[in-house]
This record gives sequence, C-alpha cells and structure tokens, in this order.
Amino acid sequence: MASIDRLAQTSPWRTLPLAEKALLALGLLLLALVLPPWPGGAIVLAVAAATAIGLAGIPAAQWLAIFAAPFGFVLTGAATLALGWDSGGFRFLPDGAVAALAMVLRSAAAVSSLLLLSLTTPATDFVRGAQRLGLPPELAETALATYGFLFILQDTATAMHASQAARLGYDGPGRALRSLGGLAAALLPRAFERARRLETGLAARGFDGRLRVLAAARTISPIRVSAILATLASVAGTGLWAAWR
Amino acid sequence: MMPPPLLEARRLAYAYVGGTAALTGLDLTIARGERLAVLGPNGAGKTTFLLHLNGTLRPAGGQILLDGRPARYDRASLAAWRRRVGLVLQDPDDQLFAPTVAEDVSFGPLNLGLSDDETRVRVEDALKAMGMDALAGRPPHMLSFGQKKRAAIAGAVAMRPELLVLDEPTAGLDAAGAAALLTVLEGLHAAGTTLVFATHDVDFAWAWADTVALFEGGTVTVQGKAETVLADRAMLGRANMPLPLLAELGMAAGGRLPRRRAEAVDLFRAMAGRDG
Repeated sequence: MASIDRLAQTSPWRTLPLAEKALLALGLLLLALVLPPWPGGAIVLAVAAATAIGLAGIPAAQWLAIFAAPFGFVLTGAATLALGWDSGGFRFLPDGAVAALAMVLRSAAAVSSLLLLSLTTPATDFVRGAQRLGLPPELAETALATYGFLFILQDTATAMHASQAARLGYDGPGRALRSLGGLAAALLPRAFERARRLETGLAARGFDGRLRVLAAARTISPIRVSAILATLASVAGTGLWAAWR
Repeated sequence: MMPPPLLEARRLAYAYVGGTAALTGLDLTIARGERLAVLGPNGAGKTTFLLHLNGTLRPAGGQILLDGRPARYDRASLAAWRRRVGLVLQDPDDQLFAPTVAEDVSFGPLNLGLSDDETRVRVEDALKAMGMDALAGRPPHMLSFGQKKRAAIAGAVAMRPELLVLDEPTAGLDAAGAAALLTVLEGLHAAGTTLVFATHDVDFAWAWADTVALFEGGTVTVQGKAETVLADRAMLGRANMPLPLLAELGMAAGGRLPRRRAEAVDLFRAMAGRDG
C-alpha cells in the first residue's frame, strides 16, 4: 500500500484531473474486456504499461514489482484452465493452453489498465471523485481523515515492532505471538489518544463538525481528452483490424 | 487608564480524571506584543496551561480573562476566542489531517468564514512565511518532522491570530530547523503577533523571550523579564533548572550577559583582545 501511495503521490500525473485519467484507464479496461485477447489484450497491455512507465513516470522496476502480485494470481488461475487431473495425474486439457493464454492476456491488460489509474492517483483523489459523484461528505471526510491516520498508525506500529525486536521480542514463535498481541493491544489505546489530540488540534482551528478544506482546482483539458479518445480509438481499431485480418 | 492585558489567568486550577492535579492556583498575565516563555521541567503543568489559553480545557477553579473580561465557554464564545488565539501542539501529527499541506492550511481560514479566494491568499502567505510553499501539494505523511512542524504552524498562522500559542516549538527539530523556525517566529512577532511558547529549554528562552513565567508543580513561581528571572541561579535551582549557558558564561566573564550566540562571540573576542 505504501509503495503504491508513494508512487501516486510523486507521479507527474498526480495533478491531472481524475476524470481524464479515469477516462483513459477505464477506457483501456473496457477494451481489454471486449477486444479479442490476441492481439487486442496484448495491445492494451503494451499501451497501458508504456503510458505508465513512459509518460506517467512510474519506474519500470516498480511497475513490474507491483504488477507481479496480481499477475501471480492470474497465472495460478490460468493453470486451472490449462491443466486437468485424472487417475493418470496432471495433464494438459485440449484447447486449455489457448484458453489459458487468452485469460492471461485479457487479465494482464485489465490489471495494467487499472494500475495506470491507481499508480498516478492518490487515494484521496478517489474519495474526492466519489464525493463529486454523490458520496455523502461525512463519509468522505471520515475516509480522508482515516487515510492520513493510517500512515501515522503504521509508523507507530513499525517503531513499536522495532523496539520489541530489539529486546528479542520476536525470538521464537511463542515470544513473537506474545509481542504481536502486545503490539496490537497497545495500538488501540494509542489510536484513541491520537484521535483525542487530533480533535484538540482541529478545535483550535475552529472545527465545527465539518472538515472543510480548499482542494486544488483541476481543469479538464479538451486537448488531453481528445488525445485520450484518439488513443482509445487507435487501440480499438488496431485490435479489431489485426484480429479480423 | 491602562488597557487590560490581552489574556490573564487568575487562580487557575485543573485536575485530570483520576485526580492528578495539573494546575494549582496559577496566576499569569500575557501582555500584547510580548514573547512569553512558559518555562519549567516536565510535568510542571505547561501544556495543561496552554490548553486553557484557547478554551480547550475549562478550569476547575479560577478563571481566564480575555481583554479583562471572564472567558465564556459556550460554542459562539469559544469560536470567537479561537479566532484570536491560535494553538500549535507539540506533535504536528496531532494537527495535520488533510490530504495535502495546502488543504490542511486552508482548514482554519475556511472555518473563519473566509471566501475561497481569500483563503487561497492566506494559505499562500502562510506557506511562504513558513518556507513551505514548494511543498504545498505534498501529503503530510511524506514530510520530515521539521516540515510537518512548519506545516502545522502555517495552519495556525493562516488564521492570523492576535496570540499564537506554541507548545515546545523547537522540540524534535535539528539546529538548522530550529533556527529557521525562530526566524519565522521573529517575523510574526515583528508583524505584531503576541507569542507564548512552552519550553523546558532555558537557552532557547534566554535567547528569545521578553518575559518568562517559571512553572513548578502546577503553578507559576515567578513571572518577570527574561534577563532577571533567567539570571537568578537560586530561583532556577528551586525549579531544578540550570542557568542558561550564555548567562553563565557572561557571569563568569564578569561582564554584561549576552542573549544571543553572536553577542557572546563578540564579548569573548573583545576579552581575548584585551587580554592579548
């Protein structure tokens, strides 16, 4: 979570309007689902990865590391399509390899499309977007405050874990379990205490029950939208043309 | 007739749940435009006292006077009070909640009822004053401790309070960070903001405060000019606090007591020249 958040926060695309990035990513996702997996899925995968790495500034190694986790699940699922089990043991199913490859291509394309959005957009922008689509402000504010709070809690837990480990608290499974239990038990009252102090800090700045802040205005650019639509049209056209050729 | 002080605490008493007495009949006066150091060891009641200065805590005994009038604790009065008195907590994570620094700083001005345009100007000014304008779009969890501290102060500064209360403003900062922060606070003071800060650092109080209130056991044992209170070895000793280093060196040299490092260097250079 932390690495995705860090990439999203530092991406040059962070300041682009969510609507533009969603149009591109969800458009690619749709194409990944409707185009023939070969070569459509491969084209979507290539475009999404190249855009993320080449244009949105996501380092290739980090993109691959994050992509690898869901892709691992995809491969596991593909194995069940390609392989069967009978009294003779595992064997390849007829047409199984083709179905598995199609599933791998389609899923990899879909994952890379979603990564394009999630690696360039901080979680808070998604909450703001959901708020514009009708999410009640109370829920949005709670989600935003919780988001910030998670990192503080993570830092606290990391520091406590390091302190326990330094005192041999994780030397053996029994001790590790006891230390982990102690850590969890200590975190809860700390979270409450932190929340109480946060309320004091907010009250000092006029908190009246609403967490109003001035979010940066991001204007949708007709030029960028046109470029996105042209990209989607090109991917769709190339995918269909290559499949029917 | 003399105008009443900006804020005054009279016979202030407060005990936390469980009966721990934090303030025990404390008297203290904050004059307009001064830099007051609330000085004392850990557990002396400094933070508890600061939380009374904007109505976060309500005294169990005694009272707070604002412009000579007893403070009221109804919702409207508290809101008016907090427009005038800004508070910066010791740990900036207790204050920063918004997705970005700029959004967090906008929270106070928007609560003052300012327009978006006016708020934007306040945010830019406050961030620039704190040297944080380049980090306006950064989320708080990606800032260093010193940067968080400056962001938290910017959040209070953007409300342009008459009185800014800071709890241990230099705690956790390195020397460069503390020096940068002091430069900013100098600017705020020069612009007319009254500053109250809690500290257990006698050297910081010596270098920077106009007046000092010495806390001990939940009460103020003495309030007076910094050069008087902080040069009184016996008085500081009773609160288990040392003399400020520069004051002690000045006393040893037998001359005037330098308040800043540069003054001390000049003093010793002059002495070296005289002896040589």
